[in-house]
Amino acid sequence: MKIMDEDYKLAKWLNNELTEEELVEFKKDSDYILYKKIKENSALLKTPHFDENKMLVDVLKTKKSKVISMQQWFVRIAAVLVIGFGLLFGYQSFSVSQELAENGKKVEFSLPDNSNVVLNSGSSIEFKKWNWDNNRRLKLNGEAYFKVAKGKTFEVNTNLGKVTVLGTQFNVKARNNRFEVTCYEGKVKVNYKIREIILTKGQIIAFENNEIIIEKTITENEPTWKNNEISFEKEHLATILSEIENQFNISIEFDGESNQLYTGKIPSNDIETALKLVSDAYHLNIQKTSKNSYILK
Amino acid sequence: MNSESNTCDENNFSSFFKNHAKSLRNYLLYKFGNNDQAEDMAQEAFIKLWQNCKDVPLEKAKSYIYTIATNSSLNAIAHSKVVLAYEKNNSILDRTNENPEHILEQEEFQSKLLNAIQKINETQRVAFLMHRIDGKKYVEIAEELNIGVKAVEKRIHLALVEIKKEIENFK
Repeated sequence: MKIMDEDYKLAKWLNNELTEEELVEFKKDSDYILYKKIKENSALLKTPHFDENKMLVDVLKTKKSKVISMQQWFVRIAAVLVIGFGLLFGYQSFSVSQELAENGKKVEFSLPDNSNVVLNSGSSIEFKKWNWDNNRRLKLNGEAYFKVAKGKTFEVNTNLGKVTVLGTQFNVKARNNRFEVTCYEGKVKVNYKIREIILTKGQIIAFENNEIIIEKTITENEPTWKNNEISFEKEHLATILSEIENQFNISIEFDGESNQLYTGKIPSNDIETALKLVSDAYHLNIQKTSKNSYILK
Repeated sequence: MNSESNTCDENNFSSFFKNHAKSLRNYLLYKFGNNDQAEDMAQEAFIKLWQNCKDVPLEKAKSYIYTIATNSSLNAIAHSKVVLAYEKNNSILDRTNENPEHILEQEEFQSKLLNAIQKINETQRVAFLMHRIDGKKYVEIAEELNIGVKAVEKRIHLALVEIKKEIENFK
């Protein structure tokens, strides 16, 4: 690699300015292939769409205010009428639909294109029915499992990150700081902060506070929570407790703290067993204080 | 009559705008990552040029907008992610000749590359992307960044070295 450090040779190479001999020499370098891939792939990069004409119009009108002709007035009045009618007729289909799974409940429903969604307890989804087939976008709070009908791009937005797919089955969890995506079939694209990662069948990825904390392959065909099991992987105690509170619609009082991370499965239909598994793992005791509240010590 | 081109002429201004607006927006985007902010700053620079068109001949307009944009960006918000994507159907080889593993491998590489570009030093990234995305010559980049051509070469050389390092250390 010595030769390429002199004289900013890499910059010369990137700009196709190397002499024949220099190029032959560089091709012998063990790093050449990687540099070549960087060169080729970076040439494919592009920036977001830029609406040049709109900006030009905005810039130009900062100085001159033109006289508005009769014809322009007519267009404006017509536009107002069209928008007015549009709002009137479009209100129902434009409005946002919401599906909600309260604590202790799971809700299964279909989207306008028959894509199937199962919402885990304490989760909600918002979407617009209007033009759904061309604009398959929804907003998720919490956790849900998706079986997406084939079609145009399907986008799940959460406050932590975004998942984009074509036609597939996957699970998205966006709770507390944890953003976790599991792909059960097909391929999904996951955006989290600066990262963009492609998952294929049987892959799971989880982020927490800008870090990847899980990245591996799994053998399950659908999320365990659908079959009354909740699985945790390297999860904080506080998160586990709040998940249990969601699932069973109870409240758990816990003043302590633990940095120990929990990995394991607990039942989501048997409250006593679930609580015992977790409290044993942390060497704590669980006590029932009233019908729906517990205390962990 | 002035021998320099009149920036106040709407046709002159519009064609100048069309030649440089996207490239200025991109420059600000590489610098700060935030696309809305980049567009606002680019627009501000062109508005200043348009309002001061009497004082800035077309020949000097380019360095004028880059200077304005760079100065106004001194108190800009901290850097966030640079929103970039790859061209669709971007496979270097013909897709029909490629097996799915190759495509996947390329997508993985592209995702590592994007990640690496986010991580390198800002001045290196800006110069590198102006060359790779906007296809500018080193002389043009030097002129717009108000530095020498050697300095551009240095930044791009280091950008490549750093990107390679980041890709190798990924994960």
